[in-house]
Amino acid sequence: MINYILKRLLGMIPVLLGVTVLSFAIINLAPGKFSTLDQAMNPKVSPEYQMRLVKAFNLDKPLPVRYWLWLKSSICFDFGRSFSDNRLIMDKIAERLPVTVGINVLSLLFVFLVAIPIGVKAATKAGGGFDTVTTYFSFLLLAAPTFWLALLLMQFFCIQLGWLPISGIHSLDFEYFSPLRKVWDISWHLILPVFVSSLGGFAVISRYMRSSMMEALNQPYIYTARAKGLPQSQVVYKHALRNASLPIVTMIGLSIPGLLGGSVIFESIFALPGLGQLFFQAVMARDMPLIMAEVVLGAVLTMLGNLIADISYAYVDPRIRYK
Amino acid sequence: MEKLLEVKNLKVDFQLDDRVIHAVDGVDLRLDKNETVVLAGESGSGKTITALALTRILPRNARIVSGEVLLEGKNILDLEERQLSLIRGARIAYIFQEPTSYLNPVYTIGEQITEVIILHQDKLRKVAQVQAKKLLEAVQIGEVNRVFSSYPHQLSGGMNQRVFIAMSLACKPGLLICDEPTTSLDVTIEAQILKLLIRLKKEMGFSLLFITHNLAIANKIASRIYVMYQGKIVEEGLTAKIFNDPQHFHTKELITAYQKIGKL
Amino acid sequence: MKNNPYLFWGLAIIVFFSGVALLAPWISPHDPTLIDGQNLLMPPSLKYWLGTDGLGRDLLSRMIFGARISLSVGIIAVGISIFLGLLLGSCAGFYGKTVDSLVMRFADIMLCIPTFFLILAVIAMVEPSIYNIMIVIGLTSWMGPARLIRGEILSLKEREFIQAERALGATDARIIIRHLIPNAAGPVLVNATLGIAGAILLESSLSFLGLGVQPPIPSWGNILIESKSTLGIAWWITLFPGLAILVTILGFNFISEGLKKIIG
Repeated sequence: MINYILKRLLGMIPVLLGVTVLSFAIINLAPGKFSTLDQAMNPKVSPEYQMRLVKAFNLDKPLPVRYWLWLKSSICFDFGRSFSDNRLIMDKIAERLPVTVGINVLSLLFVFLVAIPIGVKAATKAGGGFDTVTTYFSFLLLAAPTFWLALLLMQFFCIQLGWLPISGIHSLDFEYFSPLRKVWDISWHLILPVFVSSLGGFAVISRYMRSSMMEALNQPYIYTARAKGLPQSQVVYKHALRNASLPIVTMIGLSIPGLLGGSVIFESIFALPGLGQLFFQAVMARDMPLIMAEVVLGAVLTMLGNLIADISYAYVDPRIRYK
Repeated sequence: MEKLLEVKNLKVDFQLDDRVIHAVDGVDLRLDKNETVVLAGESGSGKTITALALTRILPRNARIVSGEVLLEGKNILDLEERQLSLIRGARIAYIFQEPTSYLNPVYTIGEQITEVIILHQDKLRKVAQVQAKKLLEAVQIGEVNRVFSSYPHQLSGGMNQRVFIAMSLACKPGLLICDEPTTSLDVTIEAQILKLLIRLKKEMGFSLLFITHNLAIANKIASRIYVMYQGKIVEEGLTAKIFNDPQHFHTKELITAYQKIGKL
Repeated sequence: MKNNPYLFWGLAIIVFFSGVALLAPWISPHDPTLIDGQNLLMPPSLKYWLGTDGLGRDLLSRMIFGARISLSVGIIAVGISIFLGLLLGSCAGFYGKTVDSLVMRFADIMLCIPTFFLILAVIAMVEPSIYNIMIVIGLTSWMGPARLIRGEILSLKEREFIQAERALGATDARIIIRHLIPNAAGPVLVNATLGIAGAILLESSLSFLGLGVQPPIPSWGNILIESKSTLGIAWWITLFPGLAILVTILGFNFISEGLKKIIG
């Protein structure tokens, strides 16, 4: 198992290198690259901005040298300083990482907790009323833009009913709260964002779970389980679910890029101080060092997610564990 | 002879997208205690579906239209799911064609045998495990401890079929239904498994309903043979009679096939 | 069509919206950029069926013209991604070895970076405009189609008729165009309809963030920008454009579901 993890970690290195090359290429090869940026064509780019770019990315040096210098410092998590406030990028990211990771982990848990039973139930009673209703519902959820759902829910729960806070991660007078009240206050503020970021996942995972479960329920070993006299609940939850959950596990890894992308949208809607909002602000301010750092970080998080998914896959599936 | 199982006018339909197939179309069977009966027929003749219908473990799109399955005189098709599951695995057990795919890939051999013992005999896990290992010894598995903690994919097909036999006989069923149990195995392994089944049957005294397309096996083990064709029993009789004086053309086909194999 | 309600409804929705988009100048009740200072944020009425926005512009007319933008961004972006996917995927699948591993590693790398991050990073470097959005979405979503086509080609490559063609001296390009791509067309079509839905969602999200289609050109996403500041005041600005996006995406998803059924 440890060998397996080490092998996977080693395998990540070339991909990560590729990611750095690619994100570096965006800066250097994107149309309207700054070394030749014409101010008339792009009024947002002032001479002063160009100077900073030149300095931050050693634009006066040849391309390979530039990449090498950037890679060398990036490996040590030194992504330079932000253009907008001159703070260390690592610091800015470090203070925002917990918010985004926290929300996404919560919503992943929420998604799995809700979607798996729904998918299982839909599969065991395929074609029935519950299955039909959840099918149509997931079609709707998949088609609805997240930010629009967020707006509708805000309108309803925050403005019309006034039940939930409309934005931010805690109340204004947060500092004066007791520790318990602080936890309560943050959870209160997170209910809607976590719910909104889970909606798409509900649809995807429950559909996926359903088809995976349908397949598992048709496998020969299910006939064995029934022939043994196991009650339906054990046939479904012990024998089918474990097998059906194998492909679902990989979905955790696959859903991370989408979740991170989604954070940009709903963190800016709900005014949550996370990586997504930071990224959005960086894009608006054309804060290139910060953008590059976040792209690399996004890729690292995605790869970590895939790794965790693979490890859990190996954990559930002995055929992989004992290869 | 004392009657163990009697099937009367069993009909099973399959619902496909646009039509209904009468997979089992009025089957009558009888099986005495300690008897070995072969249900023969080509693939797709409805043998497997008949076997699965006996304890109602059919695929989702199959439906028992009519018929009775009398186990010691009591119609078990009338039973509620819960009562029927007390019979499955305890009084009627199955062995299937490809042991490796009929064993659950994510649980150890030990767990899969122990499970059925706990279920039907209400024993502590520790006790059940000891019993499971004894069963593995009984089916002539050498390294009991290694096999016990192995997963199906780590064992050969023949080994898995031994495991399956141990699992199915764990609760000493009165009836063992074998659905082409050796078809996926090598000829040498096939012979070993058949020998094992015959020996265990002698020791434990269960009835055997053996489903096969291979009349060579039927000739070796069966006292009587039913020949099934397109969902119906087309011929039945004592083994010797079937071989010496086959009536139905399908029986003749099966016998010819067997003789050809013999000549190869 | 009768047996495939998904395809029917999907096509019905998309034909309707495409018609609206094509006929926009003739069917829209008002000029989408006309500012009516007398009627700011008016709820739906007989004059303005879906109400007006903060500048007194007719919401319905803006949405009708927005349909042009959203649909064309979706279709062209996916056109680009399918073209790239076809090119890279068929090269990888057909030539194998170095080409294959280069293309596939490149796809892996692209898939590691959250698409939305990648798009935003590029948008930060170029001016956000309709054309840039189409290109950027296309450039960042070719990996799915490429993998799909590569897979199809790998499985087709070994088939006899392809090998026969080769033996007869057909060129690689000819084989790709004549045989492999038509065979892969079904799955690619499913992928493309899903891709259009995804691209429309992406465009609306980008425009909603102010990084996509720029006002005064209306797109469903950028009409919704205003709903942030009119929450609780003008529900129609939030409700209708979002519904338009939802129904369109639903249409494309239905089509892909219907196509999946046809392909089997």
